[in-house]
Amino acid sequence: MDFFEAQERARHRTGWLIALFSLAVAGTVLAVYAAVWLALVYFLNHRFEGIPAFWNFDLFWRIAVSTIALIAGVSIHKTRAVSASADSVALGLGGRLLDPNTRDPYERRLLNVVEEMAIASGVPVPAVHLLPAEPGINAFAVGLDASRSAVAVTDGCLRLLSRDELQGVIAHEFSHLLNGDARINLRLLGLVHGILVIGLLGSMLLRSLGRSSSSSSRRKPGPAGLSAVLFIGVALYLIGSIGVFFTRLIKAAVNRQRELLADASGVQFTRNPAGLAGALKKIGGLDQGSRLLAPRAEEASHFYFSEGVRPFAALMSTHPPLAERIRLLDPQFAGELGGGQLEPVALEQEVPGVAAVAAPGGARAIPLRPNAVRASVGALGDQHIAYAQSLVARIPQRLRDAIREPWVARAVVLALLLDSKPETRTAQLNALVAHDDPHLADNVARAWSALHAAPAEARLPILDLALPALRRLSPAQYGELRTAVDRLIRADSRIGLFEYTVQRVLLRHLAAHFEPGRVDPATGPRVEVADALSVLLSMLAHAGAADPAKAARAFRVAAAELSPGRFHVSLLPREICDLRALDRALSRLRDTAPRLRGEILGACVAAVATDGEVTIAEGELLRAISDSLGCPMPPLLPGQHLAAPAEPIRARAG
Amino acid sequence: MMGMIVLAILILAAVLAVSAYNRLIELRNRYKNAFSQIDVQLKRRYDLIPNLVETAKGYLRHERQTLEAVIAARNQAHSAAQRAAASPGEASAMKDLSGAETALGGALGRMLALAEAYPDLKSNTTMNQLSEELASTENKVAFARQAYNDAVMAYNTGREVFPTSIIANMAGFAEARGWEIERAVEREAVKVSFA
Repeated sequence: MDFFEAQERARHRTGWLIALFSLAVAGTVLAVYAAVWLALVYFLNHRFEGIPAFWNFDLFWRIAVSTIALIAGVSIHKTRAVSASADSVALGLGGRLLDPNTRDPYERRLLNVVEEMAIASGVPVPAVHLLPAEPGINAFAVGLDASRSAVAVTDGCLRLLSRDELQGVIAHEFSHLLNGDARINLRLLGLVHGILVIGLLGSMLLRSLGRSSSSSSRRKPGPAGLSAVLFIGVALYLIGSIGVFFTRLIKAAVNRQRELLADASGVQFTRNPAGLAGALKKIGGLDQGSRLLAPRAEEASHFYFSEGVRPFAALMSTHPPLAERIRLLDPQFAGELGGGQLEPVALEQEVPGVAAVAAPGGARAIPLRPNAVRASVGALGDQHIAYAQSLVARIPQRLRDAIREPWVARAVVLALLLDSKPETRTAQLNALVAHDDPHLADNVARAWSALHAAPAEARLPILDLALPALRRLSPAQYGELRTAVDRLIRADSRIGLFEYTVQRVLLRHLAAHFEPGRVDPATGPRVEVADALSVLLSMLAHAGAADPAKAARAFRVAAAELSPGRFHVSLLPREICDLRALDRALSRLRDTAPRLRGEILGACVAAVATDGEVTIAEGELLRAISDSLGCPMPPLLPGQHLAAPAEPIRARAG
Repeated sequence: MMGMIVLAILILAAVLAVSAYNRLIELRNRYKNAFSQIDVQLKRRYDLIPNLVETAKGYLRHERQTLEAVIAARNQAHSAAQRAAASPGEASAMKDLSGAETALGGALGRMLALAEAYPDLKSNTTMNQLSEELASTENKVAFARQAYNDAVMAYNTGREVFPTSIIANMAGFAEARGWEIERAVEREAVKVSFA
């Protein structure tokens, strides 16, 4: 199952989840109605003769509407609250956001492992949280999309695991992020909260009753009022428990299979089953195990790497038994576990790229075919991680440290948007001089020379590495950065296609964080999918070949990758293809179904790699476009771009 | 029907109160996180200054007082920063930090002004590297301070807006204090550069 299929399935699973949830809601409505009827019977009996009929449509209708309104209101509210930022779940459990430039050796090791994994899978580096008050070994990932994701680990996970074991855990969490589980988990958290809140209200009411009866309040309710409040409190609590019971069953049913899948993908990413199995064995042996102490640990129980809350019954376990998970990774496992108490591991020197095996220009030549690229999205392997390590190692040390500081990261990402032609670059820098910050243009120029010393294929990874620091800007500083980006792009109408796409990638990821309401920075009228496809493929065809005949051939090959007869696409003349049209096209295509996006990516590959090979520049352009389409594409491995960059990729801006 | 309406209003009030509380927590987390960014840079700076003084010592033999003043100001700022990091936004801690940092900036400025008169020191590579490093750290501190002040302002505004203000008062969300700095001092500090 490839990335696009997994995304498609994730969507269907959400539908199934909502169906199950509706059943739980229906049960809750009936329970509320029964409670109200019982109350009517009890209280009315004192005043009137006889018992009212059980079925009263008018009453049922009112109760159903108000109960559903309450659940829906709370669920929507909670979903919005957790969707506003990926950090909220971790912060709610006592998490602390790690500084991208931390100097603590354990934190540094964790960040290095996460950064390598992110670069290897082609997504921005997620926010990393530490739960400092948790001695157990556990971890979780939260994410709505590639731009808004976070990974959290407990203190035990940070200190008690070896680097390989830590990598296994992080790989497991990344697979949740890449296959869309993390998104469903957030939905589920929000949905369940609506039902949970009924029980919470009940316990709140009962608690306030306890308080008011013990205090010497003069306005004590009479015995009838008191029993009414007591009744309502108990009823709400019971109704809430019914709902919680059902939702826990849903959580358990949905989650267990997915955890096994994530274990399998984690091993596929790292090609090292011993790492993940070692982490699970340490959990099995540790006294604290993987249990969390935070009072709100229950609400996110379906997020964790391993059981975080002790289940009432095996049926309610959110995770498969540890022994089963270990045996799947290590068939020789006979039940021997680590000790009850563990010491923090001794740290080796964190040297980036120690394990680097893939040097640029390696012998392996993989021709770039649409199918191969499509299959690589969201599926990384150990060679990608090794490549990511060597790539990070080849970024000059000063630059690598600098992009973890907000102040410098800002200058570096702006420098990524500078054109390769000196005249264009000068115009761009001049536009920055007018900016409010007098040092900015100077810093950006300096960052550009630093960037020049780094390999070309490190440019998108540098952007991915810089994002955690940029997320720490204040909203006002983000606004200034946006203005600066605008000035750079508008300064010269002949900016390169790659730089333009990088700008889109940057703004898309930042806007998702700073303005969660509007995800895509594009403006203008909505276009048809077929027109958007024509623009995108035409631009790529023209960019790859100056000769119109060659461009036409590239376009034909690309169009052949699309499902036949579904879209009528046509090669647009070079003059019509401007960057603003591309902007609208990418925004439109970003919204299409995952499977179609897989096809589109295949067509883009065909348009760029007409000869079955790409240069570094072309490969990075493809990755930037893939990111714009919301498909994380791992770096192209060396060996396939040995050819020198032939034609500079450029296009006219509108 | 009346009971239903009252219940609905109560529930609405409870939901609003909880969301206001959560929002306050989030805003407070945000400015505390922003302070930790300043803290990282300040620590780096306090580590740099002794090296700078050590390098300058060999040349500025007759300026012992100035050098000692720098070290004393650095130590004072260091402990003020530790107090501020323990409770970021707390009024007296922030005031102390701001004062100690201003004093440190002044002492550093005097030392570097003196250094101008010693051509040997001016051409010392280590000294140049260190002061370049110091200047860039100053810039990072200024940038992180701006982010922190923005976050503090967002929090303070958030806690004063009705109806969140009720929750803020009930749950004891105190006003946070930004890090104000006199313009003149800041500009002087940023210009720490040899070349």
